[in-house]
Amino acid sequence: MTEWLEWLQNSPLAVSISEDWFPWVESVHVVCLAVVAGSIFLVDSRLIGWTSRHLRFTYVSDRLLPWTWGAFIGAAITGTLMFIAGATNYAHNTPFLIKMGLLVLAAVNMLYFQFVTFRSVQNWDTGKPIPAARAAGAVSLTVWCLVIGFGRWIGFV
Amino acid sequence: MNLHQFADWLSNTSFSQTIQVTSWAIPGIQTIHIICLAALFATALMFSLRIAGRGLSTEPLHTQAPRFARAIWMLILVLLITGLLLITAEPGRTITNPAFYAKMIMLALALAITLWLTGVARRQLESPTAVHVAAATIAMLLWIAIIFCGRFIAYVESY
Repeated sequence: MTEWLEWLQNSPLAVSISEDWFPWVESVHVVCLAVVAGSIFLVDSRLIGWTSRHLRFTYVSDRLLPWTWGAFIGAAITGTLMFIAGATNYAHNTPFLIKMGLLVLAAVNMLYFQFVTFRSVQNWDTGKPIPAARAAGAVSLTVWCLVIGFGRWIGFV
Repeated sequence: MNLHQFADWLSNTSFSQTIQVTSWAIPGIQTIHIICLAALFATALMFSLRIAGRGLSTEPLHTQAPRFARAIWMLILVLLITGLLLITAEPGRTITNPAFYAKMIMLALALAITLWLTGVARRQLESPTAVHVAAATIAMLLWIAIIFCGRFIAYVESY
């Protein structure tokens, strides 16, 4: 594992990022995460029932989530590029590991919502969603704020 | 008193010292700053898309515009407060930094465009013209450049 991380970190791409391109890659990562987290916040806020209750939930999510996924691809690519630039350090960086765990948690919450709660969407698509849907929104909102917090903390240890 | 002396004075105030010695304060304030910039960027994106006739396009623009405007200005307020706290904590790194000034100039431009567009949209803008779409596009490019400059404050040398 350590050998593989060292090989990764010494690859020409990783060296070029850590020597010349890190601030640029990091800035693109922030723009992408802004679209990812920001669009998720807007959908969550509708799901919890705080905003846009006069719009159908499926309408709001259909219009926003393509942006979320597009930007997520960008955030994942730039995140991977930053990771390989310092692979041996990040592999032992506690906030980084917590952030990855939180992303898994966000995915589990999303999958449970998509395959269980969302099946009855026609009953709560307008107005205030059912408690299970509102809970999924609240969990998502909290987890994504924590992802940002631990992400920022990576650079401070 | 020049900028450097002001930065020295500010960083020696007890308020600045308190932020500096509290280990979680700067990452904590930056986290709130990033959460709000994400919400602002996505809201601005939805507003710009709506101007271009896309996004949440079934609702009339003039009923949507006040909600977009309220969210944008509330988030700007929190961003200004957290931004001021970050300057207070590290004045030597910010108020003498070219990236910071580039960010502030572009912020003023982005806010002016947003103020104008939300104002026009409130007044029954049924069919936005190419000028409105161009302004909305420029605003989004400015927000992207503002994010870049914000991150580059950490990398550009202060003078």
